[in-house]
Amino acid sequence: MPVSRRALAAAFAVCVVLPLSACGSGGGDGIAADASGKVEGDITFQTWNLRANFKEYFEGLIADFEKKYPGTDVKWIDQPAEGYADKISADAAGGTLPDVVNVSPDLVAPLAKAGLALDLDKAAGQYEKEYLEGAWASHRIPGMTGTYAFPWYLNTGPLFYNKSLFKEAGLDPDQPPKTYGEVFDAALKMAEETDGEVATLANVPTIEDFGRYGVELMNEEGTAFTFNDAKGVELLARYKELYDAKALDPQALTATPESSGKKFLTGAVAMNPGSALDLGNFKKQAPNLYKNIGITDQITSTGHVNMYVMGVMVNAQTKRTPAAVAFAHYVTDAAHQMSFAKQVAIFPSTAGSLDDPYFTKEDGTDETRVRVAAAKSLKNAVNYTPVLFSEQMKTELRNEVAKALQGKESPKQALDNAVEACNRLLQQQG
Amino acid sequence: MASPTVPRVSRVRRQLPTSPWLFAAPGLLITGAFILYPFVSTLVNAFTDRRTLIPGQFVGLANFRELLGDEMFWIGLRNSTLYVLGVVPALVVLPLLLALLVQKNIPGITFFRSAFYTPVVASIVVVGLIWVWLLDERGLVNSLLEAIGVGRVGFLSDQWLLLLSAMTVTVWKGLGYYMIIYLAALANVPPELHEAAAVDGAGPVRRFLNVTVPAVRSTMVLVGALSSVAAFKVFSEVYLMAGPSGGPAGEDTTLVMLVQRTGTGLTGRVGYASAISVVVFVVTVALMLLVLRADRRDES
Repeated sequence: MPVSRRALAAAFAVCVVLPLSACGSGGGDGIAADASGKVEGDITFQTWNLRANFKEYFEGLIADFEKKYPGTDVKWIDQPAEGYADKISADAAGGTLPDVVNVSPDLVAPLAKAGLALDLDKAAGQYEKEYLEGAWASHRIPGMTGTYAFPWYLNTGPLFYNKSLFKEAGLDPDQPPKTYGEVFDAALKMAEETDGEVATLANVPTIEDFGRYGVELMNEEGTAFTFNDAKGVELLARYKELYDAKALDPQALTATPESSGKKFLTGAVAMNPGSALDLGNFKKQAPNLYKNIGITDQITSTGHVNMYVMGVMVNAQTKRTPAAVAFAHYVTDAAHQMSFAKQVAIFPSTAGSLDDPYFTKEDGTDETRVRVAAAKSLKNAVNYTPVLFSEQMKTELRNEVAKALQGKESPKQALDNAVEACNRLLQQQG
Repeated sequence: MASPTVPRVSRVRRQLPTSPWLFAAPGLLITGAFILYPFVSTLVNAFTDRRTLIPGQFVGLANFRELLGDEMFWIGLRNSTLYVLGVVPALVVLPLLLALLVQKNIPGITFFRSAFYTPVVASIVVVGLIWVWLLDERGLVNSLLEAIGVGRVGFLSDQWLLLLSAMTVTVWKGLGYYMIIYLAALANVPPELHEAAAVDGAGPVRRFLNVTVPAVRSTMVLVGALSSVAAFKVFSEVYLMAGPSGGPAGEDTTLVMLVQRTGTGLTGRVGYASAISVVVFVVTVALMLLVLRADRRDES
């Protein structure tokens, strides 16, 4: 069959027109599907980098669920940590988002706005009382009604410090700083005593630092950022002071969690946030540091440490809503959260679980010391990361903070610019 | 009366035979699906306010107008241009010199050829991390500099040194690749030309300038075109060394990094990122045309 030029032109037109079909209206509030009905059918469950270490746990959990609800079949997908948000984006845009998805609050927000996250207040409101109040609320989105994910595990990292560096600088290794004011004083002394060789902090302030310093991050309506107030400017001005004195590592402007962790290991930095998992790393990679390791709470001037919340979301477009909701609840109920917490250093978000002796009694090891201290601080912890604070906003803040530290802008100007850019991005998010 | 054969000839002219298209079909399908469609899609998106999860509306030239006022876009354009200016001359000249060094068939030369080519096959992530360790404030390079009394240099904390360090990695990694291209070109240079020049009293430098360079000129143009396009689209080296935020205050961001940062993630601004991609495409094509035009002018 001969191919006419017209056919070729038509093929080209398809290439041009197909992308156009992507334009149009969309979005909207999360859909409240009916979760009542028989729990049955095939569902997919996606986790975030958990297969490598917890394969057995999840396979057991899925087998138990399938046994409890005959006729269900859960297919487990695990995605690597790197590019997780991009993977969800691609699935969401392509209509292949799994039925039950492991998410963090900042990932839930755009999915809920696009109508892809199920409103659990409507579909599974009866379970709300099983969870800590703050944890349940962490998946609410400003400007929307509803809750868009079951809270799963919580975490809060301790702050590690190098006792021998503290001693050498004339600081009391048994009285580590607790508030930002104390940290700034200690850091300046450390820099002075070591002639700028040892910095106390390795990272520029993040939005969570502003929160723990007592800065109001957003207005009450959640429609605009407000971290450029006097307190925010004060925090940035103090960091500038540290940067000039080399009390903040000179490479902090380009630091990543990995690079600052390495600096702590090599003794170039005296304090670094981490998790209970890091202790094993210290023991193996830096035995001398491990012998001198000090563990304290996160620095906070508000009395509340920051907590990180992980959630389990149900796809609003799932064809198996009862099974998906039942499974998401099953994964996050008190018994399973407790059993998962015994596998890894995480903390349950279910009411009363943190009072379990596992989280209240020390056995003399560093691991239990970190666990008990973290569980205690979690009881009044706050999730300081605004759910609407996107990756692009983090970059805007980081860049403006860097300009202030370099002296290219005043702290006030830098924060004004950051707030303006974040508010613009917030509006563009819709 | 008009000849009855006329319309048939016209129809034959308008229709193309089937079999060549069938042979080409797999290639065309792949090209259409993975090159043409994404290209057209990007072009269309550039005129919309599309976001990752929210289909956009047409906004005309709004994205391009926003680009003009976006400080980060100009920083990206500046850095990508500087990258071309810094990397391309080095990648045109140094691999040629390296090729001349390893061109001779002497015992053990294969080892050097392989050694120079090794960075090409090494993973860019591994290479990037190794260079970050080397150039760290407490890395090997700074320890050596300190030992000889120069003091520590902020290779990874100063915006210009960071860009220069990334350029060094690009050049180091690309040397072997372009060296192979030059080796192939040098093999085609008749040795009689060198012999004749030597008889006329030309030294090695003169022979290089008057014999070797003219003989491999078209290869130099090719290397210039390939390396300038690659340099303008640089991503990995700068991303690995300057971090995801693009160095201190984002001052080392390149245009492709900006596309990645703006357009990805659940809140990505696909429309705006597409507009930046269109600019990258236009500049890349312009660079190619510039190099080819310079080549034609030299020939004439």
